Amino acid sequence: MIKNTSIKRLFIAVLTFVFISGLLTGCGDKGGSSASGSDVRVFYTTPVLDDFKGLLLNAIKDNGTKYGVAVTVGEPCSSVDEQVSQIREAVSSGYSMIICNPVDVETVLQLEVAAGDLPVIFINSQPEEDKLEANKYMYVGSNENDAACFQAEYVWNKLGKPSKMNVAIFQGQPGHPASQARTKGVKDYFKKNNVDVNYVFNDTAYWDTEKAHDEFLIFLKTGQPFDTVICNNDSMAIGVANAMQENGYDTAKIPVVGVDATDGGCQSIRDGGMQFTVYQSAVGQGAAAIETSIALVKKGSAAGVEGVTDDALYVWVPYVPVDNKNVNTFK
Amino acid sequence: MERKTKKISSKLLAFILPVVVLTVVALVLIAATLSRKRMTEMATETLESSISNQADNIEAWLSENLEYFSTVKHMMEAQNPGPDEIVPFLDSLYGFNSNSPNGFYLGTADGKLYKATESGKNDSDVTGSTWFKQGISRIAMAYGTAYKNDLGQTVISATGILNDGSDVIKVLGADVTLDKISIIVNSAVKMKGASSFLVDTNDYKILAHRDVNLIGVNLASAGSDALLAGAAKSIMDNDLSSKEIDGNMVAFSSITGTDWVLVSYIPTNVILKSVSQMGILLFIVGAVAIILIIILILLVVRRVIAPLTHISDNIAAMSEGDFTIKVDSSSNDEIGLMGLKVSEFVASMRNMLASISDESEKLKEESDNSDRVSKTMYEASQSQADAMKQLNETVDQLALAVNDIAQNATVLAGVVADTRDNSDKAHDSMKETVDISQKGRADMEQLSVAMSGISDANEKLVESINKVGTASEEITNIVAIISDIAEETNLLSLNASIEAARAGKAGRGFAVVATEIAKLAQTSSENANSISKLVEEIRKLIDDAVSQASDSARNIKENSEHIHVAVGTFGQIYGNIQDTNTLIEAMIKDIQKVEDVSANVAAISEEQAASADEILATSQNMVEMANDITRSSQDVADNSHELAGTSQTLTSYVQKFRI
Repeated sequence: MIKNTSIKRLFIAVLTFVFISGLLTGCGDKGGSSASGSDVRVFYTTPVLDDFKGLLLNAIKDNGTKYGVAVTVGEPCSSVDEQVSQIREAVSSGYSMIICNPVDVETVLQLEVAAGDLPVIFINSQPEEDKLEANKYMYVGSNENDAACFQAEYVWNKLGKPSKMNVAIFQGQPGHPASQARTKGVKDYFKKNNVDVNYVFNDTAYWDTEKAHDEFLIFLKTGQPFDTVICNNDSMAIGVANAMQENGYDTAKIPVVGVDATDGGCQSIRDGGMQFTVYQSAVGQGAAAIETSIALVKKGSAAGVEGVTDDALYVWVPYVPVDNKNVNTFK
Repeated sequence: MERKTKKISSKLLAFILPVVVLTVVALVLIAATLSRKRMTEMATETLESSISNQADNIEAWLSENLEYFSTVKHMMEAQNPGPDEIVPFLDSLYGFNSNSPNGFYLGTADGKLYKATESGKNDSDVTGSTWFKQGISRIAMAYGTAYKNDLGQTVISATGILNDGSDVIKVLGADVTLDKISIIVNSAVKMKGASSFLVDTNDYKILAHRDVNLIGVNLASAGSDALLAGAAKSIMDNDLSSKEIDGNMVAFSSITGTDWVLVSYIPTNVILKSVSQMGILLFIVGAVAIILIIILILLVVRRVIAPLTHISDNIAAMSEGDFTIKVDSSSNDEIGLMGLKVSEFVASMRNMLASISDESEKLKEESDNSDRVSKTMYEASQSQADAMKQLNETVDQLALAVNDIAQNATVLAGVVADTRDNSDKAHDSMKETVDISQKGRADMEQLSVAMSGISDANEKLVESINKVGTASEEITNIVAIISDIAEETNLLSLNASIEAARAGKAGRGFAVVATEIAKLAQTSSENANSISKLVEEIRKLIDDAVSQASDSARNIKENSEHIHVAVGTFGQIYGNIQDTNTLIEAMIKDIQKVEDVSANVAAISEEQAASADEILATSQNMVEMANDITRSSQDVADNSHELAGTSQTLTSYVQKFRI
């Protein structure tokens, strides 16, 4: 009898413990999801448009229509102040989501503060990782590192996988995340494949065709050998290719490669100037931004969106390599 | 039975103590784990904030200097000093920036080195020097990788091509020593107990470290140090997240504008020192609490259960049969109430025992009486059972006899039924026989008629044959006439031929004719002979036919007579069969009567058998009942006997109690 009682007490104690721990841990199941974007109101703020930003704007608008999401596009901003006040206004007008192409990626924290409780998807310019927050402040874009890997891979294969190379790199604006990531990606690729690379030139040309052209002419004066020129974007690659052709270098033998697959870049590939570029799909990024918006507003989580990373900070839209074989499909 | 009794206080302790100990241990463990986790998180955050601050400092320091270097380069490109003006230009800047003690210098592609007059910078091979090679790879001023200069110092050069438009490449440079960077790295650590070092990812050289011997050493080749090796692996894998390596919390930060990575680390035992202290403290508090609880339980139990001892003594006495006890009920709690109730119980027990004793005495007497009565009853019922049994046997025999009769009657009925079936069948076959014999007689009569027809036909046939005989006789006559004619003709022809011979030549033709006629007469005579022979044969044949027809007519007549006799016989048979049929029908009617009678007998005897069975069953029941009564009276006798014993025992028990 004594034993029975003690067993009963123990049982009761265990049950109590289980119930209490059940209460403490809670049961936070979340509701189901829906692919439709009705009830989602998105505000898109962008800096002054260039080719790519224009494509991106149209992609976001088109995909908004496709998914039934109401997208409002703010007047392109020329300054951070304008962008901040635009976001504040969007918050007070009851939008459920902000997609932001930041004027200055260094001001991301200020933009997040302006958005209050609203989730923000950054696009086109990648903020630093510690400025992002899972399922709240996310970046939708193409992984710059992939672009760099495509470039390095193309060049290395084109030259017959040599163990030593002389490489010239033209970087974008100093400190710009894309130019940093694209340069680092190229270097990492060669390191990973144990290629002994001598960087005979490695400087910024500020994304600019003219600057790249002039700098390449100065580089030529140093008389250093070079096997390839890798540029952070197409504009610079076009400048370099022009300078090479003007000085009698064969761009068919010395690959000049860029990123972005702009109209100019593609034309240069068709004309035998540049050899290779990487297409950043504005349409794909626009679609991913809208899909992520719907997921964040409806479910509070981007889980399930294609290309989302495990830490829920990024949604990656794949790059597409472009050379003279497929250049005509990118117009 | 001896039973081991334990104290309530030790039982309470045995239950409560493990629970308290477990709870305290769990609390301490949870608190220690949670605070360890939280402390680790906090330390990581602090370390990350510290390293980011340090990285900012280094970036600021680098960019501040680089901006200054860039400004100078820009100035120089703008002023574009001639070969003689370069040294004075460099002199004017010398000593302005303490971070770069050797000032600016300018190397040209044709091997010239320009430097400030007081500068210690020296290079025997300008175009072969590290800084020149680095410098020609860029136009904007930027830092290169670390190298040892001619003076044996490990330096980093900020260099860039001087864009002065000339065709001779000139590289402008300024050196910063790694010592300076080390000072920043080592002194700007914001977290107590943490250390930092700086790595160039281009060649994995350590640019700054607390241990001066490690500066300039390749990170991967400093393999003996697990921390450095782990950090090297992380950097090479591009994994710059904070992690634990070799008992250290390690954070990484890349320095913007360079390929450098700053690594900051702090031993985990430094972080967790306070956690283990807290754990020990919690354990002490827990142990003290447990001891206090033990003392408290012992005290409380002692005070509360003291009156229980007295009551338990009383109850022990009661269990021995002593109800003369006095129970203490002075306590004012549940135990006092218990004492009160026990004393009430004792009083009522006393009363009860007294009355039980009285009652059991009475009971004993009554049970003795009932024992006697039941014995008498038992005997009576036994004799009744015997009588019943005899009756039963008699009835049994009767039933058997009746059953036999019933069976026999049933068998008889069965036999009669079979006989009737058989005579029915005989009747049917007899009917068939009548039909058949009737048909036979009709057929026979038809045969007699047919036989008369045949006899008539035969007679007609004989007549016809006779007519043929007459006709053939006439033919014989005619043939005789023909034969005569032929004879005469022959004679005539003979005469004619004689006459012709006489006539000579003129009668020659006629002689021929006479000869031919003679021949014809010859032939006719021959034919008439053969015909008469044939007719003779026919007549013989006809005679045969006539005699045969007469035979058959005789036969037919005999047959007709036989048939007539057969028809008569058939008529008799038919009559006999008809009689037999009538007899069989009469027999069937009689059998029917016998069957009905025997069925009645069977039914009646069966009923009789059933009644006998019922009588048997009833008498069987009566035997059983008589047996039951016997058994019951036996039981009653036993029970009353037992009751007498029980009341005796009860009396003896009750006498044990002291009231």
